[in-house]
Amino acid sequence: MRGPRPLTRWLEIAVPAHAEAVEAVSEILTRIGHNGIAVDMPTVGAGGRGAETGDYTVKAYLLADADAFAKVSDARDALGHLQAFGLGPIGELAVRTIDDEDWLAAWKASLAPIRVGAFLVRPTWSDADAAGAIALALDPGMAFGTGLHPTTQQCLEALSTLPVEGLRVLDVGTGSGILAIAAAKRGAREVVAVDVDPLAVAAAAENAERNGTRVAVRQGSAADVAGAFDLVLANLVGPVLLAVASHLRARVAPAGRLVAAGIVRDAEAGVRDAFARVGLRLVEREERDDWVRLVLTA
Amino acid sequence: MAKKIKAVVKVQIQAGKATAAPPVGTALGPHGINMGQFIKEYNERTAPLSGTVVPAVVTVFEDRSYTFIIKSPPAADLIRKEAGIEKGSGQPNKNKVGKLTRAKVRSIAETKMADLNANTIESAMKMIEGTARSMGVEITG
Repeated sequence: MRGPRPLTRWLEIAVPAHAEAVEAVSEILTRIGHNGIAVDMPTVGAGGRGAETGDYTVKAYLLADADAFAKVSDARDALGHLQAFGLGPIGELAVRTIDDEDWLAAWKASLAPIRVGAFLVRPTWSDADAAGAIALALDPGMAFGTGLHPTTQQCLEALSTLPVEGLRVLDVGTGSGILAIAAAKRGAREVVAVDVDPLAVAAAAENAERNGTRVAVRQGSAADVAGAFDLVLANLVGPVLLAVASHLRARVAPAGRLVAAGIVRDAEAGVRDAFARVGLRLVEREERDDWVRLVLTA
Repeated sequence: MAKKIKAVVKVQIQAGKATAAPPVGTALGPHGINMGQFIKEYNERTAPLSGTVVPAVVTVFEDRSYTFIIKSPPAADLIRKEAGIEKGSGQPNKNKVGKLTRAKVRSIAETKMADLNANTIESAMKMIEGTARSMGVEITG
């Protein structure tokens, strides 16, 4: 199944533009660009503000297929009309070919193995030595949960310190399966993982197998699981936690714990109230980069 | 001390649909930022706006850390909505596809003012008018 896949080639269309013309050039390039456009902005002040007359470059990317040059030609024609509409000047449209590898390499390079608590999270293509840590190998292209996001890290740290061995663990919104796999590797007796997204279910199942762990992955939410678990993991987002608070509570065994993460600080009070109302008591709170992780008990 | 800015890049994509493919991967990848993290954060923050194009201005620092700000919808989207058209004209100088009153232009300019790098409402209106006309939308009133 795996193996080298054909290289995809892209055309990068780049048009330098005066600030006044950026929106118009963006509109024209959006017509031909794959999934949207990007704009290189002047680095004057955070966010480029104050750069009224600075140099901008609007970029679109399209697959280098048989239609590509006709599309570029259409864009060039449309850009040619812009001067008539009283906007600032634009530069020549430049085209260059780039290979998938050019940007994938940069992306992969940004995904170095990372030590989080007791775990070493590494991309599947890395053979980094775990050096005493519990290795988690994940393909970051597949679903959320690469170990890089603060909320995932907060949960991995919780899984490094909380008792896990011999326990029944439920992971709600498993994404890539990273937390479920981590729990299994820490010796959980049984791990159930659910996600409403079928792509995540497939990714989590594959990742669990790749890591040599037994995780029962199913499509669904907290409401679709029966039974009680000693440890429930819910790395979701605030509004979802609010919506499923009672279902999460129902899954926590007496004296069991719930690790809830993905809560932005502004949403924390509401989430804590919701958990309190269903009878979950706060045991621990941790905050990082505006993200809050709560550990609660039934 | 403030961190040194390496690059400022705006990506203009569908809310909740960022992937590592172009334009996000190609525009941000070379700056060495943590792409997986950006994709997750963008998709989470824009998920409620699903179905619309949501620009994000990403400031990349020399140490490869970054911040990003969600911006108002692109001017062209606001123009299309106000003019009641699906898309702009391929030949805006000949084929007019819609109309926009100057009051609507002002209203769009006010919505976009903070994101347009314009110092006055008049210069913001000029940008909106020019963009509308380049799409084959006539300005009336």
